[in-house]
Amino acid sequence: MKFFNLLKKELKELINMQMILGLIISCSVFVMMGQFMSNTMNKIEESNGEIRLSDSDDTEFTQSLIKAIEGAGTKVVKVDTPNEDRAKALEELDISNLIIIPQGFTENVLENKEMSDIEFVSAISSTSLASQMSSMSYSTVVSIIQTAVKQTLLLEKYEFTNEELMHIEAPIKLNEVTVVKNKFADISSTSLMSFIQSQGILIPMVVFIILVYSSQMIVAAISTEKIDKTLETLLSAPVSRLSVVFAKMLAAAVVALISSGVYMFGFGSYMGSMMGNVNSGEVASMVGEAMSTNEALTYLGLELSVGSYVLIGLQMFMTILIGLSVSMMLGAMVDNVKSAQTIIFPVMITAMAPFIVTMFADVSELSIFVKILLYIIPFTHTFMSSSNLIFGNYSAFWFGLLYQVVFFAICMILVLKLFTSDKIFTISLNFGQKKKMKIHK
Amino acid sequence: MNKILEVKKLSKQYTKVLAVNNISFDVKEGEIFALIGPNGAGKTTTIRMIATLLKPTEGEIIVDGNSVIKEAAKVREKITYLPDEAGAYKTMTGRQYLKFMAGLFTNDQEKLNKYVEKAISINGLGERLDEKIGGYSRGMIRKLLLSRAVMTSPKLAILDEATSGLDVINALEIRKMIKKLAAEEGMSFLLSSHNMLEIEYVSDRVGIITNGNLMAMGNVEELKQRYNVSNLEEVFEKVVQENEIL
Repeated sequence: MKFFNLLKKELKELINMQMILGLIISCSVFVMMGQFMSNTMNKIEESNGEIRLSDSDDTEFTQSLIKAIEGAGTKVVKVDTPNEDRAKALEELDISNLIIIPQGFTENVLENKEMSDIEFVSAISSTSLASQMSSMSYSTVVSIIQTAVKQTLLLEKYEFTNEELMHIEAPIKLNEVTVVKNKFADISSTSLMSFIQSQGILIPMVVFIILVYSSQMIVAAISTEKIDKTLETLLSAPVSRLSVVFAKMLAAAVVALISSGVYMFGFGSYMGSMMGNVNSGEVASMVGEAMSTNEALTYLGLELSVGSYVLIGLQMFMTILIGLSVSMMLGAMVDNVKSAQTIIFPVMITAMAPFIVTMFADVSELSIFVKILLYIIPFTHTFMSSSNLIFGNYSAFWFGLLYQVVFFAICMILVLKLFTSDKIFTISLNFGQKKKMKIHK
Repeated sequence: MNKILEVKKLSKQYTKVLAVNNISFDVKEGEIFALIGPNGAGKTTTIRMIATLLKPTEGEIIVDGNSVIKEAAKVREKITYLPDEAGAYKTMTGRQYLKFMAGLFTNDQEKLNKYVEKAISINGLGERLDEKIGGYSRGMIRKLLLSRAVMTSPKLAILDEATSGLDVINALEIRKMIKKLAAEEGMSFLLSSHNMLEIEYVSDRVGIITNGNLMAMGNVEELKQRYNVSNLEEVFEKVVQENEIL
């Protein structure tokens, strides 16, 4: 009964209008960003399907060249011969990219047998990914032109047959095979990995956000109690200190879980909108003729089962509990607002390091020293959990979980020791202040 | 009269400081005992040890027959503690705070309601009790906390700077309330204050502590006669000066 009284109070303190508004705003921002990214991607995809071309040469050869480009699936929008000032040209035509086939191009290609110029004009107006992707697609179109010119030359000047042309164009066929443990499938490993990574980025991202958020929450809760001296009142009341500690932990864990659900939804929606276009477009077309990505994932055993998701959830929960217990100790060691805001830094750094490393590197290929250093950090095991389960490294997963349980148990013993001793009132770790004994005689 | 609090040869050694040195005193049932002393004399450390928050290095504290060292949980059922400059949970209303605190002392809903009603009748906050504590003035918070400290009719109420932040009228009311609760309910009080006028008015006995040592103890009249002065402030001054010379 007393425990529920404490729990109710802790939940009331944590779930306030500020927290609810924060969650709603974060979630809405993620969803809106997802929508925005999705629209941008669609626009890029649409614009990738067509090019603006100025044919200043306008010969039979360039006409068939344009037909070859259109035959490759790209719409060609012809524009007038532009102004010599290219900046003005783009401005006048109200476009950002333009391919110009200069006068004399046909003669150069067919008669002089020299390398012929084609001009590609593009305007840079921002450093955004969308603008880069748009430019890159034009480079691809230039390579299509190169191929089209080559094919037109071979067909019209050197009178190759279509069969001969196809043989020259593709003398070899690359069949990609991906091996996972003792299974293999006809699929590109690069496209498979990019698909898995796009799916797996969600878990570490959410774990990191929740870890930092819940740690901040508990540090604020404990340090505020210490600063306001409500902790002294609470600990002199007839209620066990174990109840005080567990009520705080449980309330923070409940709030962290609610938040992670909301963030998962928001971030999932964002990633889904952003990655949806990439996955359905690039990956599917790459592997389309061999095996679909989903078929390959299932066949190679790379799909996460419901049980695997439960196990990942378990490690996520352990991570939150470890973060909470460590933060509880840190929060108990400060007695001013400034220190309470900065003391969370060690938790953030120890979470950020494995988060970044596991995202960009294969931990098993790192030096033994770095590996040990990473494995000592309990959060690393959660960032690696989906990879461990996808690739069947169950021993690594269970070792990680066991290590986290032991780590959490040790942290809890230390927290209880701190709360049951008078250290809770005498210990002080105040950053940015002169060291002084926190003794009120 | 029964002894509600017995402090025997109590010492507290921090890493580098001996905050309390071998002090002994007791508080009887219905008695108001005040610990006074200059800043850093050891008052708060002594009070925190009695409130079960700090562990003594040496000595013993008995509250109504229970040892603070060995039976802290039982002691906590018999005491209430109001720290100096304490706050309350800002997101709660005054009424919610009183209910929460009462819930830590009893699981019985009827008793809980009685405690809350008693606190409400003491603090005089009226309709403001349904407002968030975050909007309270310092004086209002102090009145709320004081009412919380006495609502459960503890055997011993430990009040550190009970009336700090209160205006003269409110401070007077609180002093009268303390005297009334001691006389009518037999509640014992351990007070700490810098306000000598308040101590002289409210206390039955006084202990003067300097540099961790209890240098003088007795009722106010006795002390005035012993040091041949006219008020407690002068007693305090003499005791502190003597101790500094020593």
